[in-house]
Amino acid sequence: MNKSFANRIIHSRRDLYPASPPAQYKDAEEGGCGVTGFACSVPVGGKHIFEPSRLMHNRGNGKGGGIAAAGLIAEDLGVASDVLDDCYLIQIALLDPGVQQEVERQFIAPSMEIAAGHRIPTVDDYRDVKGLEIKPPDVWRYFVRVKQDVLAAFGEKSGLDDIEPRKVEDEFIWQNTIRLNRAFYDTLGDKQAFVLSQGRNMMILKIVGYAEQVAEYYQLEDMRAHVWIAHQRYPTKGRVWHPAGAHPFMGLDEALVHNGDFANYYSVAEYLKQKNIYPHFHTDTEVSILVFDLLNRVYGYPLEYIIEALAPTTEMDFDQLPTDKQEIYHLLQSMHIHGSPDGPWFFIIARNHFYRKRFQLIGITDTAMLRPQVFAYHDGEVQVGLICSEKQAIDATLASLAEEDNRISTVADKYWNARGGSHTDGGAFVFSIMDDPENPGQKRMVCTDKFGNEVATPKNQLGCDVSLAISTPDNSDTLADTIAEHLGRGDVTALYAFVRKQIPITNFDTLRWCCKRIREEAEKDDIRRQTAIDALTLLNDIRYATGKLKRSSLLRIIRSTLKEIFGAVAPIGSDDKSTFRLITWDTRDKLIAPDGKQVTLVLNANGFPPEGDECDARLVCDAYAKGWKRFVCYGYRGQRFLGCGLGPGTKGVQIDVYGSSGDYLASGIDGLTISVHGNAQDQLGQILKSGKLVIYGDVGQTFMYGGKGGDVYVMGNAAGRPLINAVGRPKVVINGTALDYLAESFMAGDALKGGGFVILNGIEFDHQGAVQPQPTPYPGSNIFSLAAGGAIYVRDPHRILVEEQLNGGAFGELTREDWRLILPYLKENERLFEISVEDDLLMVNGKKKRPEEVYRKIAPLKMKELAKASVVE
Amino acid sequence: MQTNENPERESSIEYSSTPVLQHSSTPVFPQVRRTPSRFRNAIGKYRLRRSSACVACGTCAEVCPYGVHKKRNSKMAKPEDYLCIGFSCNKCVTECPENALSMEENPLTGVIGDRRWTPDLLISTWYMAETGEAPPGDIEYKTGDSGGGFDRLRFHYTKEPSNELDEAGFSTRIPLNRLNDGRADVQIDIPVYGGGMSYGSISLKVMVARARAWKAWNSFTCTGEGGYPEELYPYDDHVITQVATGLFGVREDTIQRVKIVEFKYAQGAKPGLGGHLLGDKVTPNVAKMREAVPGSSLFSPFPFHSVYSVEDHKKHIDWIKEMNPEALVSVKVSTPTDVDMVAVGSYYAGAHIIHLDGSYGGTGAAPEIAKKNIAMPIEYAIVKVHSFLKEEGIRDKITVIASGGIRTAHDVAKAMALGADGVVIGTSEMVALECIRCKNCESGRGCARGIATTDPELTELIDVDWATQRLVNLFAAWRKQLVGILQRLGMRDIRELVGRTDCLRHLDYVG
Repeated sequence: MNKSFANRIIHSRRDLYPASPPAQYKDAEEGGCGVTGFACSVPVGGKHIFEPSRLMHNRGNGKGGGIAAAGLIAEDLGVASDVLDDCYLIQIALLDPGVQQEVERQFIAPSMEIAAGHRIPTVDDYRDVKGLEIKPPDVWRYFVRVKQDVLAAFGEKSGLDDIEPRKVEDEFIWQNTIRLNRAFYDTLGDKQAFVLSQGRNMMILKIVGYAEQVAEYYQLEDMRAHVWIAHQRYPTKGRVWHPAGAHPFMGLDEALVHNGDFANYYSVAEYLKQKNIYPHFHTDTEVSILVFDLLNRVYGYPLEYIIEALAPTTEMDFDQLPTDKQEIYHLLQSMHIHGSPDGPWFFIIARNHFYRKRFQLIGITDTAMLRPQVFAYHDGEVQVGLICSEKQAIDATLASLAEEDNRISTVADKYWNARGGSHTDGGAFVFSIMDDPENPGQKRMVCTDKFGNEVATPKNQLGCDVSLAISTPDNSDTLADTIAEHLGRGDVTALYAFVRKQIPITNFDTLRWCCKRIREEAEKDDIRRQTAIDALTLLNDIRYATGKLKRSSLLRIIRSTLKEIFGAVAPIGSDDKSTFRLITWDTRDKLIAPDGKQVTLVLNANGFPPEGDECDARLVCDAYAKGWKRFVCYGYRGQRFLGCGLGPGTKGVQIDVYGSSGDYLASGIDGLTISVHGNAQDQLGQILKSGKLVIYGDVGQTFMYGGKGGDVYVMGNAAGRPLINAVGRPKVVINGTALDYLAESFMAGDALKGGGFVILNGIEFDHQGAVQPQPTPYPGSNIFSLAAGGAIYVRDPHRILVEEQLNGGAFGELTREDWRLILPYLKENERLFEISVEDDLLMVNGKKKRPEEVYRKIAPLKMKELAKASVVE
Repeated sequence: MQTNENPERESSIEYSSTPVLQHSSTPVFPQVRRTPSRFRNAIGKYRLRRSSACVACGTCAEVCPYGVHKKRNSKMAKPEDYLCIGFSCNKCVTECPENALSMEENPLTGVIGDRRWTPDLLISTWYMAETGEAPPGDIEYKTGDSGGGFDRLRFHYTKEPSNELDEAGFSTRIPLNRLNDGRADVQIDIPVYGGGMSYGSISLKVMVARARAWKAWNSFTCTGEGGYPEELYPYDDHVITQVATGLFGVREDTIQRVKIVEFKYAQGAKPGLGGHLLGDKVTPNVAKMREAVPGSSLFSPFPFHSVYSVEDHKKHIDWIKEMNPEALVSVKVSTPTDVDMVAVGSYYAGAHIIHLDGSYGGTGAAPEIAKKNIAMPIEYAIVKVHSFLKEEGIRDKITVIASGGIRTAHDVAKAMALGADGVVIGTSEMVALECIRCKNCESGRGCARGIATTDPELTELIDVDWATQRLVNLFAAWRKQLVGILQRLGMRDIRELVGRTDCLRHLDYVG
């Protein structure tokens, strides 16, 4: 027998299915969903997945929710730790509780040594779980090993007897599950029982309902684990759903949740069929994890190759890979392209990497990055890695964790998007939790990209324990005097400069004391209040040196101070001499017109629904209609559409946004100014007509799609597909870069004659706030494709960008006219973000350069030249 | 030829009274006024020649019931033979004492039209647009000759046609908001509205004429993806703003001023191909409206880049609803095999209307290979969606609109019997304005008949009043026919017809 391991495994599965295998079609359509997950270096309770799940209700419809956990705690499960480590943890959902004994008799007892087995606890009555309409299944949990004689017989029969027994045992468990499911779960007929999960030290639970109801019903709130993932499903077919269709789906030691859908389900199913694998539940997600398991366990690929097979590296990214990688990737693609899901998808996987002794949280995006995805990393004594559909789910998770553990901050050290199928990060990141070699009994987390490159956070910086009482610093009198003086004079710049100068040389205690002082002073009158808000906002927005202090902790302090100042504003309808008024969910019905003296409406968005007639964005419209023009909106948890619906001619209106603002912000605005004091979400500034949008952070997918105008400044990066189909006269400065497809089909006239343009600076900040160039100003394979008008001015002093990245555009030299056009925008950019034209942008390797040496212009090719290029002579 | 009318001038159409409320118990319909062809020689099915033997005795004028022959002064005028019903009458020929008249089938009928839009359908549509009546004689005005689709479906009537039809006693009104969500309770008086045709694909005059005609019939026209010209502002309540994948000309203002906003995800004629307006048609005015570059082709991507899933779709709809708290949202999709899922998904996302666009429609600008090979024929899609929504228990919560090759009143009725609540048309309107289906819509400066063009000179071929009245007449003829169908099926309200496949027979399955 000289067949490979893979072939023998595949061969051994030939008898798993009847002669006529099940049909290869999808049982349900589900476009997208909400996915969220986090990994933590200390085990934490399931309650922390509760809030992010709840926040993503609008990404599901309550017809399927699920949770998975990996890296469990033996005592929480009532077993010995070696049982938890070594045994397969099989969870069986009983849709018909009557079949439990029969299931056990047929599929557990004959072949397994049962170390423990019991029905997992639930709340007494499912109706006690608010909103839960369908009783979740009873779940039986078994800790098992395969009996020695059974395993030997299986190995011999399958021709696997010379293989490492543990891997044969894995395969036995996997095949046993297939048999069990086939016997007790007929997708098109009787449904009595199915296996929820089978891996070691990990488990899956799913129901018809929302994900957080899983945690509640099965009482997972205090059950601890290192990795948690959750899924809100949005199936659209059928009136009757079964929990088996909900995510996560299992591999062996993996659980996968998925947002998106495939165009090639049939093809992937056919590919699996060739390996004697037939999906049982007929969903995209199931085939995804089947492919993963095939590549992982049968072919034995390392994670990098699995990711490559799922989301192939293409176009220019492929060309930029090292030659040896190209060779391997080429082979992988040739072998597995039919198993590669085509279409929008984003996977989050919770995994117990049993053979390498680590728990993992993995996020993989498709090559075209068609689904929303945000990654975040909180480093420190306790490390947290987070992967979600929307940033507010990350914030909610951190807030929930921080409440329980002082070592965790509400703000992560790093937030980013993956670039699908890229040579830079491979579109995937892995948080691995393993034993800490330096601290026995403790775990450490490492975050790496697809290629194994570590995601680093600044070392040797301190976090802040905000639970400690604030002590009064020695120089408190001087500090207090200075703060009082600047506030009293309304001198924003001075106050900002003062605190900023303190930060690198001070400690958190002093800083917290200063912030408290500022807050107390701010409550005295409007000048002080406004000055405090403006200065703290600058401290929040601008990047500067923080010395030994962690920026994430600093931001937490500044933001909570701002929140307190906002919260102390006089409520709407109250009689107060202040020109500020506060409106909240509870006081929304009291909205009245400003009395002539009142200027600023402070809106606490917390509690407002993310969309619909009652949402905060509608309230802003109503307030605007009543005469309010100045808005400070805070407390965001993903609420959408802020700034939309005010109508045309809104010049003079100003909205400042704090918190996790939501999708579609500023879409359609025509005149007003919106400043987002932090990272922004997806679909910002759609069809933006005119006005000003400033984002003190990154911006998400399809930013300014169909934009018509406006002056827009982005401090950080844009995700995929910014400014597609933009026309008219949008003027946009992106200081970072974009993932790909920037300004596709851009049609904004002639930049020099009033048309639109994008300035792409390709810079970033180091952890002490200094400006530095990114490795490339634009990593994507497509920039300005099919564009007919407008221009891109890209800061590219080393001429890194190449013709291959263009498709319909052409590089040109920057003329004096061009510079005259863009300089005012760069100056405004400098004013907003403190990114200096002279000292940062025109400075290359420490030398000042001329604008035309630094910037290049990309303009559309003339129609004639395009025609020439497309005609074969 | 009547030309040089200012499109901004108010319509000269006479109403008995303008319907102020959309729900007045008895709808008031606009009046039909005879509106002949713009051209000297209108095209008919038959051709009459008068030889020099004619002595102008006037016998032909006396015997012809259709007004083909007219005596002008002492001479016979050239026969208006497009009104002639042909050999089944032939009276003028046989009774001419001098044998001066001869009749033949118009040789043009051999070259115009195609199997879907047969010469008979073109000629009868022109006739209806002129007179507001179905053509007399043997002209086949109900179905085409494609050998499939609606052309193989017939109604199985239970009653004989009535000679005296009390038109007012029948209701052809349908509601468009069945969600009862507090948004506008829009109802339309005929179960038909106008499909999206952009400024650029058609001329401003045609756009205005459509808006006026649909307003007169208390229904809707749709902007298409090319912006919302100011000239349409007076008709806001009867305009649908289309939000398509290129987002051309879509502004918050254009979303806020209307009662219905339509998301165009795809067109049945060219699903997966997005939109394209070739450079030649991007005149300075078109470019200005879309804020793009004159002379450069305009592409709409095939997907919404912001929508790759059902929850994105819901968010997209929520966005429109946030900007316009009154408007209904229609979702226009093509007909892939899983169109039923798409429909259910749209319902759950909060759409009021699911608009299924089948494969038969599309102007000449849609590539032939796409028109014939991608989407599912509409008659299958309607049934699939209708039954699935019923199974899901939500059929009465969403309005199903069908389009894509609805050519005649009989097509309308068939689509409804298959399960649609109403239909959207497009090409029929163009034909009413004397489109001859030459299929050169996209090329050069466009339409030789001044319809699908933005060329300033060609545009002058159309007069807005004339075009408005032609459309009004066509819809009047259609309503009359719909009422006729209802009467023969024993129904009084067009809503009774929805989903009554039992009223239909497929010719493949009957003797």
